[in-house]
Amino acid sequence: MKQLLTTIIICFIAITALAQSIKISGEVAAPTELKLADMAQYPQTEVSRKDRDGKDHKYTGVLLSTILQKAGATLGKDLKGENLTKYITVEASDGYQVLFALAELDKDFTDRQIILATKIDGQPLALADGPFRIIVEGEKKPARCIKQVTAIKVAFAK
Amino acid sequence: MVLLLAFVGTITSWTYDPVPIGPYQFNYPTNFGNRTFIPDDNPTTKEGVYLGRMLFYETALSANNKISCGTCHQQALAFTDGKAFSTGVDGSLTSRSSMSLANMLWSRKLFWDGRSNALEGQAAIPMQNPHEMGQMMQTTVRKLSRKMPYPELFDKVFGKEEGINGVTIIKAIAQFERTLISANSKYDQYLQGKHKPTKQELQGLALFNNAPQPAKSIRGANCSRCHGGVKTYMELFHNNGLDTVGKDAGIGSLTALATDQGRFKAPTLRNIALTAPYMHDGRFKNLDEVLDHYSDHIKTSAALSDIFRGASNRKDGTQLSLKADEKKAIIAFLSMLTDDTFIHDPRFSDPHIAATISNK
Repeated sequence: MKQLLTTIIICFIAITALAQSIKISGEVAAPTELKLADMAQYPQTEVSRKDRDGKDHKYTGVLLSTILQKAGATLGKDLKGENLTKYITVEASDGYQVLFALAELDKDFTDRQIILATKIDGQPLALADGPFRIIVEGEKKPARCIKQVTAIKVAFAK
Repeated sequence: MVLLLAFVGTITSWTYDPVPIGPYQFNYPTNFGNRTFIPDDNPTTKEGVYLGRMLFYETALSANNKISCGTCHQQALAFTDGKAFSTGVDGSLTSRSSMSLANMLWSRKLFWDGRSNALEGQAAIPMQNPHEMGQMMQTTVRKLSRKMPYPELFDKVFGKEEGINGVTIIKAIAQFERTLISANSKYDQYLQGKHKPTKQELQGLALFNNAPQPAKSIRGANCSRCHGGVKTYMELFHNNGLDTVGKDAGIGSLTALATDQGRFKAPTLRNIALTAPYMHDGRFKNLDEVLDHYSDHIKTSAALSDIFRGASNRKDGTQLSLKADEKKAIIAFLSMLTDDTFIHDPRFSDPHIAATISNK
C-alpha cells in the first residue's frame, strides 16, 4: 500500500513537472513546448534588477531572443520590413498578459537584455514566481517582469 | 377549420414582439475598449439575439421543463440567483455558485476555473449536466422542433439548412449573452464626469486602487490589482487565501499543478452589491465578510498568489489589516458599481412573461 502511494506521488510529481512548460506559438517556423530541462542547452545570461523588496537580485536565464530564434521567429537579419510590425504576447498562469515588440528583444536594436529567468540569486524561482519569469533589464516598473509564464505567442500587428 | 388554424397562427405571431433583422450594433462607452471577443462563425445579429433571449429563458431546455438559464441567472440579481449553490433538475446542488453575467462581450475564459474559451462552449455544459438542466442536446433539439415559434425562428436566424441543432442553439444563446452590457453604474457616470461621489465613496475608491505602502504611509486594499479597469474585470485567476487546503481545487483539479490549487476566477465586481453570497462556494453572506477575509483572514499555502504575500498596511504585517471605517468606505465604493439600468433593461428580461401578459 505504501509503495502504491509512493508510486502515485511520484506520478503526480512527474505530471506536475511535465505541465510546467511554455507553449511557444504563432508566427514561428517551429512551434514548441519549452520545458525547464530544455533551458540548460542555451547560453545563460545574468540580469540584475530590484524586486518588490526594493533589493537588487541577480536573475539567471536565457535571452528571450535566443529562445524565439530557435523556434524560428524572424529576429536578427530577418527583423526588417513588415517583420518590424511583429510583437509577442507573454501569458502567465493567472491569465495576465504583457506585450513586447519583437524589436525590443533583438540585440541588433538594443543592448537592454530581456531574459526568461529560471533562477534568482542562484536558486530556483519561488513557486509563486516560477518556474519561468521574464526579467526586463533596467525597466522602471516591474509590470512586464511577468511571473509564472506559460505561453509566448508571436503575432503580426494588423 | 382552415380559418381556425390561420387564427391560431396569427395569435402565435402576435404574442411575441416582431423579430428585428440585421447586424446587431453593440453600444458601450469608449473607455471599455474594443478588445471584444466574437467568434468568426457566430456574428451577432438582431434576429440571433432575439432567439437567444427566448432560449435563455426557455424552460423546455431542462429535463423537468422547470429550469431555464434565467433560473440561476436572474436579471434582478445581476444574473445570479442569490444562493451559494443552485438546485438542479435532480434536486442536487451545483458544485459552484452561479456566476453573474455582465460584459461577457470582453470575456474569453468562462466558468470559475476558466476552462471554457467561448460562450459557445460554455452554454452547452450546464444544459446537459445531470445536476443542472439535465437534458441531452438531442432531446432539446427534438422538443424545440415541436414548439412554436422555434422552427420558424431558427430558420430565420440560421437558414433552413441549419435550422435547429445543438450548435445553433448555443450560438443563439451566446449572441444574447454578449448583449448583456453593464455600463451605466454610478462609477461609470463618475468616470464620465456626470456623478459626484461622496467623501466616503472617494475614500473607498482610493483604497480600492492603492497598494498598501506603510513605509510611505499610503493605505490601500489593492483590489484593483485583480478587479481593476473600468469593467472591474481583468480575466485573472488567483488563489485568494480562502483555505490552506480547500475542498474545491479550482483550476488545480484540471492541471494538477501545485500552484493552481484553490485558484479561481477573480470575477467582475459589476453589480457586486446584488450578487451575494460571495466566492465560488458562496461562503460569505455579505460584503462585510468579504472585506473581513481580505483584511484579516488570508490563509497561506503554496498556491497563494504573490499579490497577497506580505501585502499589509502594517510594517512587516502579514495581513492587509484594514480599519473598520476603511472597510465601510470600500463597500460604499463597491455599491457605486450597481447598475440599475442593467437590471431593469427590458431587452434583457424574460420575453415569455411579456408575451403571456400581452396575450391576456
